[in-house]
Amino acid sequence: MLGSFPVAADYAALLPWFVVAIVPLLILFVDLFFKDASAARRGVAVGLAIVGLVVAGALAAGQYPHEYAAFGGAFVQGGFSIVFSEIVIVATIATLLLSIGVGRSDQVAGTTALLLWSASGAMLMAGAANLMIVFLGLELLSLALYCLCAISVRSTARESALKYLILSSMASGFLLYGSALLFGATGSVAFAVLATAPVTPVLAVGAGLFLVGLAFKLSLVPFHAWTPDVYEGAPLPVTAFMSVVTKAGTLAVLARFAYAALPSDHAAAILAPLWVLAALSMLIGNLGALAQTDMKRLLAYSGIAQVGYIVTAFAGTTALGLRYAILYLAGYTAMNLGAFAVVALMARDGDAVVGLPRFAGLAYRRPWLAAAMTFFLIGLAGLPPTIGFTGKILILAATVGAGYAWLAGILILGTAISAYVYFKIVRVMFARADLAHVRDERSSNPLPWIAVTVCVVVTFALGLVPYTPSNVLPLVK
Amino acid sequence: MIVTALVLGPIVIGLALYAVPRERIVLVRIIAAAVAALTFALAAYDPAAPDASLRWLSRPFVASFHLGFNPISFWIVLLLALVTFGAALALNGPRARNIAVQLLVLQGAMNGLFLAKDLLLFALFWDLMLLPVFLVLLDGGPHAHAAWKYLIYNLAGGLALLLATAAFGMVSGSTDVLYDPNAHIAIGIVWGTWIFAGFALAFLIKTPVFPFHTWMPDTYADLPPAAVAIVSAVQSKAGLYGFIAIALPFLAEQMAQARTLMFVLGTIALVYGALAALAERDAKRVVAYSSLSHLGLILLAVFTGSQLAIQGAVVYIVAHGLFSAALFLVLGAVEEREETRDLLRLGGLGSRNPKLAGALVIGALAALGLPGLAGFAGEILILTGLFSAGVVWPALVGLIAVILASAYMLRLFQGVMNGPKVPDLPERRDMTWLEGFAIAPLVIAFLVLGVDPGPIASLTIGAHTAAPVNVSAR
Repeated sequence: MLGSFPVAADYAALLPWFVVAIVPLLILFVDLFFKDASAARRGVAVGLAIVGLVVAGALAAGQYPHEYAAFGGAFVQGGFSIVFSEIVIVATIATLLLSIGVGRSDQVAGTTALLLWSASGAMLMAGAANLMIVFLGLELLSLALYCLCAISVRSTARESALKYLILSSMASGFLLYGSALLFGATGSVAFAVLATAPVTPVLAVGAGLFLVGLAFKLSLVPFHAWTPDVYEGAPLPVTAFMSVVTKAGTLAVLARFAYAALPSDHAAAILAPLWVLAALSMLIGNLGALAQTDMKRLLAYSGIAQVGYIVTAFAGTTALGLRYAILYLAGYTAMNLGAFAVVALMARDGDAVVGLPRFAGLAYRRPWLAAAMTFFLIGLAGLPPTIGFTGKILILAATVGAGYAWLAGILILGTAISAYVYFKIVRVMFARADLAHVRDERSSNPLPWIAVTVCVVVTFALGLVPYTPSNVLPLVK
Repeated sequence: MIVTALVLGPIVIGLALYAVPRERIVLVRIIAAAVAALTFALAAYDPAAPDASLRWLSRPFVASFHLGFNPISFWIVLLLALVTFGAALALNGPRARNIAVQLLVLQGAMNGLFLAKDLLLFALFWDLMLLPVFLVLLDGGPHAHAAWKYLIYNLAGGLALLLATAAFGMVSGSTDVLYDPNAHIAIGIVWGTWIFAGFALAFLIKTPVFPFHTWMPDTYADLPPAAVAIVSAVQSKAGLYGFIAIALPFLAEQMAQARTLMFVLGTIALVYGALAALAERDAKRVVAYSSLSHLGLILLAVFTGSQLAIQGAVVYIVAHGLFSAALFLVLGAVEEREETRDLLRLGGLGSRNPKLAGALVIGALAALGLPGLAGFAGEILILTGLFSAGVVWPALVGLIAVILASAYMLRLFQGVMNGPKVPDLPERRDMTWLEGFAIAPLVIAFLVLGVDPGPIASLTIGAHTAAPVNVSAR
């Protein structure tokens, strides 16, 4: 199962992950020396975390040209996992910029540590080529998030955390049961072995349950109902983190499972329901977003649809589709985190309930913020000059090329619905309104501006130069 | 270099205008007009300017940021510069700066659209040019629902275009094919039909053609005069240009199949637009519905497939741009003075404001197709082309609509300028030099074009025969 005894090279493959997993201990230790509620206390915790993430990102980037199959192929560190890890790392840094002012200062070290552990779980999932590592990564990711959801003083926080705990555990249950069936059918937990095993009903059911578990975590329709409630109750930075990192980690597992763990002659049949889920997500996610007025709920529904677009790219499991999915995920990360950073800048403590009416006349009160938000929203709606446009056309092309033209049609339909959602916000920002009754709150923490700026640049630049990593395949060794 | 500057220049300078304080309307006007004049000079300076091309995608199909003049786009770029110049001078009011920004961005985006030699780039600018108009409608328009309607209709078209473009790219392997004489693309029947359907939906919504026109009167009525001049003069031509530049060379079979349907839609637009213009009380909506009617005629010409009719279409595209912009600018000046556009409220302005009346009458005469003005040149070419191609019934309907045009245009003029003085209308001064200066280039252009449409018509012949594919051989 795990194969031969681990050697130094195996640990070298995990080095970036180790850094992200160990820095939290350092943060908690250093925090012991602070007694007061000073800004320095927050700064040190978050600063250490960012340094650790930058180091991990640099280490992972250094590994990029190489391929590691560590622990007998249970953990594959290569182009694929490194790109996902970098997305997770960048998203976590952005989250930290948003989170520095949120919560009590004696909690900041704890939340920062939990965020990092959660991110390390996603990184583990990115490289997992074995059912056990998948589960390990998923639980590491989720357990930290349960605590993070509950940490806010808001009344909905506990509801959010409990809902997340119960439904996420259920998803884990599906995943675990599916894994057990897969193991029972093939005698192995390695993806590489699953792909060559003879197809039996047990294997098909196992794969189905495994996919249901992943669909829960990705909040694909009809397994999405928990997402808006959980997003609404969680602190804003945690919501931003969940909307990107959880999805990135789970998408990595989904891609590896779809591309590399299924017998190639039956993969199309086993995965067929997945495309239906993607289609439903694109339609119902956007329809659900129509009625929302709370920004976090709106972005939750929008995220459901956006993941639908990404899963669409996997249709037909083509190599190009995988590359465009990664590209769009990177773009989604920038656009979505940018939008969350804008919302954070509109709340004094960086974590208030920000409803749609708060955006009224924003273009005349805070033109730069409104301009940035408009840019992210037109990107999410798939309009140029953003990665939203370029990424969507590439996904469309790959989907049409793979023979799933109907799915491309639904993507267009979903996008048309989403225009209402995103331009509703643009309309509120730009329409002339009576500004006397609008609460004009400003965040005391200017750091989200860094995230906004970087996200604008990335959203624009990726649209012009849609670079995709070419060495993402093969996914298993 | 020149073509890149034509696209990026207005966009960058336009966005930089946000740095100008809101109250400095004169400065905003000068900058915007200078940009428009410069783009005119740049384009006119070298119609043979080399293409600019930069590879964008090489997988899954080839796409480039490929900009370059083609004979049709050269004239449309000049038209757009003239109209933007007039619109810039007509800017007024507290929102002038914000509107100026959007107008320049719109000019850059539309230059990009007409100069694009890559289909994907065309689609990019197609979507991009929605945003400035949407923002102007939100910022300047009295009713946000017009902005909403505009966006939803046009975005739906844009998405259909996007899907069709992706499919086109996958089938042909490259979208860098517009006006490329070496492009040989065979699109199968099945794909061709779907791709054509996507393009046609986008183009019909944008033009607009019945039954996709309902966004148009609201949008035109709510846009400030400067913006509506540009939208009606140039943006509404994007779809017709798309049919000529994309569908004609690559999807000729599908165009031939869709001919009957398009003739029906075109003639409905012709008659319906004319009748609605006759019944409408709002002066701006009269011109909006007249556009619907005129563009229906162009649609007929484009789908006739005859050389002569298509030349006429291009002449009429430019001519309609010139006179509709002039009409909207004059009506904008009227509305600014009298604070109403209602033909029943207005009246008798002619005796007090003879210059304004003169400007309106010459615009109206061009619109109703008076010989010697540009409208006539386009109409006669189109109608002759239709008859000579054997398209008799649509041509006859077109003829009726041309006659109706005289009725509604004269009704418009009478409603605003003739009749006894209306006692409760305030006395305002006549047309200012600035307003005259905004409209004069348009009037001169349609006079010149009316006398000698040769340059456009003859250049178009070259363009069309040089179009990439010999359709009948396919």
